[in-house]
Amino acid sequence: MKEPGNVKEESTQELQPVEHSMRAVYTIEAIADLAQVPRRLIILYCKHGLVVPASKLPDSGWYFDDRAIHAVRRIENLRNACGMNLMGIKLMMDLMKEVERLREEVRFFHRQ
Amino acid sequence: MPVEFKDYYKTLNVPREASNEDIKKAFRKLARQYHPDVAKDKKAAEEKFKEINEAYEVLGDPENRKKYDELGSNWRDGTDFQPPPGWQQGRARGAPFSEGSFEFRFDGTGFSDFFEQFFGRSGRFDGFSGFDHRQEYGDGEAGFARRGSDLESDILVTLEEASKGSVRVLTLRRTNRKTGQARTQTIKVKIPSGVIDGQIIRVPGMGNEGIGGGAPGDLYLRIRFAAHPDFRVRGADLYYSLDLAPWEAVLGTRVVISTLQDRVSVKIPPGANNGQQLRVRGRGLVNGQSGEKGDLFVVINIVVPEKVTEEERELWNSLSRVSHFNPRNS
Repeated sequence: MKEPGNVKEESTQELQPVEHSMRAVYTIEAIADLAQVPRRLIILYCKHGLVVPASKLPDSGWYFDDRAIHAVRRIENLRNACGMNLMGIKLMMDLMKEVERLREEVRFFHRQ
Repeated sequence: MPVEFKDYYKTLNVPREASNEDIKKAFRKLARQYHPDVAKDKKAAEEKFKEINEAYEVLGDPENRKKYDELGSNWRDGTDFQPPPGWQQGRARGAPFSEGSFEFRFDGTGFSDFFEQFFGRSGRFDGFSGFDHRQEYGDGEAGFARRGSDLESDILVTLEEASKGSVRVLTLRRTNRKTGQARTQTIKVKIPSGVIDGQIIRVPGMGNEGIGGGAPGDLYLRIRFAAHPDFRVRGADLYYSLDLAPWEAVLGTRVVISTLQDRVSVKIPPGANNGQQLRVRGRGLVNGQSGEKGDLFVVINIVVPEKVTEEERELWNSLSRVSHFNPRNS
């Protein structure tokens, strides 16, 4: 790749994630804020099974993890960039999951 | 964006017409030699191991190998590569991450640009990451804030890293296509112990910049396990193929197997059949999400000697005379 001749600005950002990341859970308000998607849409996605809460406690409501944020962001991309409706998105996400699973199986057996 | 061509046959040191079995053997031999856990010069070995792994990802999968062979054999290792016509659209996805006006390039994920472009998983579902139509069409600039789009990339992780955890240093370089301005960010990402293949690690705020003061997007790193010379992985379970002589399978035996943590002595019961799986509990990977430990499955693989001495032949002959066993009539 060619080095661009113009200004090169260097910045270093050190992150100390991720310990929280695997087990961290967020309230619906928190993931609405993190993913920049309205709360009512997240509820709608949950109702359609597109996003699955990490836990669903009867008293304290829904909690979500990083996978849910990723799913919400994907749905947003499908809606905005591909112009898909919820039915289409559901079909697409299920197919993607299935393709990933099958690819993993194929890889597993090829390595036998 | 041109990428450096990778000669995967050269990396694995096999001829282009090598069989799948030859490729597997070549990988195992090299992977044992350069595995970061066993090599003396760890840093150099790690680089070499990544190359070997990448070559095996492509050549070890018949579909990927076919695709690779179609790309052409005239390219030399390390030269700037332009794919033949027809690859640019549809199959290849342009630069590793090309979004409207920006180009993204990662270093430290364990995969080369060449691999990312033609064989990377993150490129397979084009349109999910690094593309924002609002930017393409220029809306969103009319005064209100929009969150930046996300980036996705695979990150190569060895099984040892997955069980012990590690800290990886990634560099992400964003180049503005119009102005040529580049910005390089170095990110330290902690790979927690207990990650499993396919798991997503979210790095907040490292995606594309927001518009009109909007928050930046996130970077999603998808864990991809490096192929291991001895183990195959399914979820948190490990699979080990154990070669046995026919008489060992019939009479039973005891074999010592090196797991990721220790050495275990496994008792093979008499009459073990080809493909049979023996479970060694708790010697798999830790699944960090459930906290449970996977198992190690020993898969029996009976190997028949290719050459036999006169004496051996005589013994097999006497066995065939006295045995009532008929595998086609059971």
